[in-house]
Amino acid sequence: MDFKRDFPIFKQRPELVYLDSAATSQKPQIVLEAENTYYEKLNSNIHRSAHFLAEEATLAYEATRQTVADFIGAQKHEIIFTRNATEGINLVARSFGETFLKKGDEVLLSKMEHHSNIVPWLQLKEKIGIVIQYLDIDENGQFIFDGSQVTDKTKFVSLTGMSNILGSIPNLKPIIAAAHTKGAKILIDACQLAVHQSIDVQQLDADFLVFSAHKLYGPTGVGVLYGKEGLLKKIPPFLGGGEMIQEVFEQSFTPADIPHKFEAGTPNIAGVVAFKAAIDYIRQISFDEIQKIENELTTYALEKLSRLPDLTFIGPKKAENRGPVISFTMQGVHPHDIAEGLSQKDICIRAGHHCGQVLMDAWGLPATARISLAFYNTKNDIDQTVKTLEEVHKYFT
Amino acid sequence: MDIYAQNILDRYKNPLHKDKKLDATASRKEANHSCGDSIEINLKIEGDKAIGYSFAGAGCAISMASADMLGDLIHDMTTDEILALKKEDIYEMLGIEISLRRSKCALLSLITIQNALIEKQEKLKSWTDYI
Repeated sequence: MDFKRDFPIFKQRPELVYLDSAATSQKPQIVLEAENTYYEKLNSNIHRSAHFLAEEATLAYEATRQTVADFIGAQKHEIIFTRNATEGINLVARSFGETFLKKGDEVLLSKMEHHSNIVPWLQLKEKIGIVIQYLDIDENGQFIFDGSQVTDKTKFVSLTGMSNILGSIPNLKPIIAAAHTKGAKILIDACQLAVHQSIDVQQLDADFLVFSAHKLYGPTGVGVLYGKEGLLKKIPPFLGGGEMIQEVFEQSFTPADIPHKFEAGTPNIAGVVAFKAAIDYIRQISFDEIQKIENELTTYALEKLSRLPDLTFIGPKKAENRGPVISFTMQGVHPHDIAEGLSQKDICIRAGHHCGQVLMDAWGLPATARISLAFYNTKNDIDQTVKTLEEVHKYFT
Repeated sequence: MDIYAQNILDRYKNPLHKDKKLDATASRKEANHSCGDSIEINLKIEGDKAIGYSFAGAGCAISMASADMLGDLIHDMTTDEILALKKEDIYEMLGIEISLRRSKCALLSLITIQNALIEKQEKLKSWTDYI
């Protein structure tokens, strides 16, 4: 099945080889149509005006909330729409962190977190003096964890479900269990994980979980924050404004109930509505099918790339416990030059530190080149890339 | 395959000013963290003139070639003339079209050499001066 037919960009740019889906995925026609239809038929502001159009728009917006809740095994009112996953982590760091953490409390991260799961905690450190600890990462991109890293001082754990740099899917279960034994809460950054396998927040027992629509074939400007009902009720609103209040007086206000108390101002209504189409689309294909295709592509890419001279994989070398994200370096060719060479042949990859400077510094790497695949990619995409990489290598050495 | 103009590739592969020993009187390191380029420029200043130039570092072909060619460009310039260099001078020196996504690669050496000269002054150059 040629899934590229579902994605208009490949019709507009027939030569495009897009291997940067971990940065943002391409969007299927059905999502673009949903956004367009919203503006053509439903456009009005939600949750306020007393007319039929606002009601229809509200129903469409809230339908996505239900779809997202079903998608990860949550209750509808445990789903909060944000601008992106970054905002979700900031919300937790600020609202939960400033309410429940105090000077000297420890927050446990890992060295392969995206900057979006490091900086909000560093900001909290600057503000209230928490202590940040990091799990080390082994060469397969797994957390090095023996239980001792979660201590009596650990009050919060915030970890990635799949590395955007290495592609590895770390084993979270023992850490979540250890955190909960100590009474610490845990947030999972599922930006990459949610794209490649189904998530059940009940089974995972995550207290908070974030992901973004734009990596999941949906529009930009929509993020999801899941939080356990009890916790969301206990923490204060993050941003203040319209929508998030029940009553406002000259000197005080009463916030709305969850989830609306965390959704201040007019949200990206069209984006949220269109996100439902994206989730419906991938559920229709099914994660079984997506994983089958992506595993086959990853295995194929690893095998082909491993034959290239001077190429070193950064992270897992096999297709197990990973998603379709592959980082590598090439002796004698800077990653930026690799990306430039590929770019001239219509091939898009990412080069740099991938917003993961802590890991790059820990491993002594200035930069890597990163290929990230989606189910719409083909073996032909990989063949073209490998052929061009051979030429790039020859050009520089 | 022809990724860059020949002059860029030549200066990247066979630099003239890289890792030269120098009795430096001014020195500065700068990096483009997001691309993984980093350079250190060492200058020997006598009177108001730069009479010696050397750089060290690692980065893409454009950043390294730019740093190397800068050594020729600033030869015999006064420190004021170096401080007056603009991004257009660097683009002209490189002789190739620089896209937005490569502008930081091309200009890393410029911001480094200028900051080497004004390090002790109050206002270091920042990327907002150029991009």
